[in-house]
Amino acid sequence: MVKTERIQADEFEATPGSAWLIGLAAWFIPGAGHLLLGRWVRAVLMGGAVWICFILGLQMGGHMYDLSTGQGWSTLLQVPPMIGNLGTGALYIVSWLLGVGFTEDPQQAARVTYEYGYIFLIIAGLLNYLTMLDAFDIAAGRKS
Amino acid sequence: MTLFAALASVIFAAMTKDTTRDRWLYGVKVFAEFMAIGLGLSWVLYFIP
Repeated sequence: MVKTERIQADEFEATPGSAWLIGLAAWFIPGAGHLLLGRWVRAVLMGGAVWICFILGLQMGGHMYDLSTGQGWSTLLQVPPMIGNLGTGALYIVSWLLGVGFTEDPQQAARVTYEYGYIFLIIAGLLNYLTMLDAFDIAAGRKS
Repeated sequence: MTLFAALASVIFAAMTKDTTRDRWLYGVKVFAEFMAIGLGLSWVLYFIP
């Protein structure tokens, strides 16, 4: 039993601190994690896809979520899409600060592309979570 | 749907495969699957009132 635990401890390598920072950078600015790792092609492909997805979502009139809407328990319904939106890191934060994509405008909601837009904004965040995990794995040496 | 399929397949292919050839093959495959399933579901839902 003790021997097994020792073998498992030997096989486990601690994650370097830089990997966490790379992961944080990858989340905060889509593509930045791979750029810091010198993976230009991946940065352009993966980060670019997230940026395009986000910009298209905004152009389609999409709406992002925060906790300001809803009453009582219904506010909790905002949390799952908000987690998706939060994946875009600085893009979400800057948009929130500027009020872009957060306004409750009936004309915006009536646009044909509104539904596509908010889905694109959520997808952008979810894709960036994948990009972030990829950058983290590379930085931690778990992936080539 | 096409845009979503293209963007998602780029990321999936870049993440999961190591060589450029494998990435292309996997990306095209995922893109085709997204499109086929999306169109298939659309036709199914079209007939459901």
